[in-house]
Amino acid sequence: MIDFAALLRCLSEAGVEYVLVGGAAATAHGSARLTQDLDVVYRRSEENMRRLASALASHAPYLRGAPAGLPFVWDARTLQRGLNFTLTTDLGAIDLLGEIVGGGRYEDLLPDCITIKVFGVACSCLGLERLIHVKRAAGRPKDLEAVAELEAILEERRASGEP
Amino acid sequence: MNTLPLQPDPVIEAYKKGVDRTLIRENLRRSVEERFLNLIALQRLAEELRRAGRDTQRQP
Repeated sequence: MIDFAALLRCLSEAGVEYVLVGGAAATAHGSARLTQDLDVVYRRSEENMRRLASALASHAPYLRGAPAGLPFVWDARTLQRGLNFTLTTDLGAIDLLGEIVGGGRYEDLLPDCITIKVFGVACSCLGLERLIHVKRAAGRPKDLEAVAELEAILEERRASGEP
Repeated sequence: MNTLPLQPDPVIEAYKKGVDRTLIRENLRRSVEERFLNLIALQRLAEELRRAGRDTQRQP
């Protein structure tokens, strides 16, 4: 189970610059599908990686699916050395993505983001059309149903006169 | 916006026939926060069903 409210608050209160993508972004746009983690694309600046490391430090971040006992150190240097991290935390599973297929980095996604307010937190969320492009580009068979639903959402919104 | 117009994809069009649009319309009437609360409720249900499944398998 993911504590969405606590995770989003944790990131936002630490001033982390991130964009919601993946299943949580799909939920924000109206998807009825179940998602098991929170996917965010984070800004790869030194300051932001320091904030991100600090925000999650007290929530037992560890590599998801990895055997216990690895010498995994959670800090800004680890973030700097890697790019994408799939983690478990005591607030739930979170994927920290430095870059995504078909979307690029944080700065590339920003022009296509909307701001949503959820659980008292204002956060950037990838816009519906760009989210569809990104999921299409990922080309994973498991995403086909998700893409079909997102495109249906776009059609329904347009049919009801939304931009 | 950097996004190019979406071109129809025949495979996705085929999947689209299976999409329950009543659920989408219901969700679009909700606020973003209500959509997340719904997701959390769905996660709880999934977790409970997994637990029930595990318990059943353990029974002799």
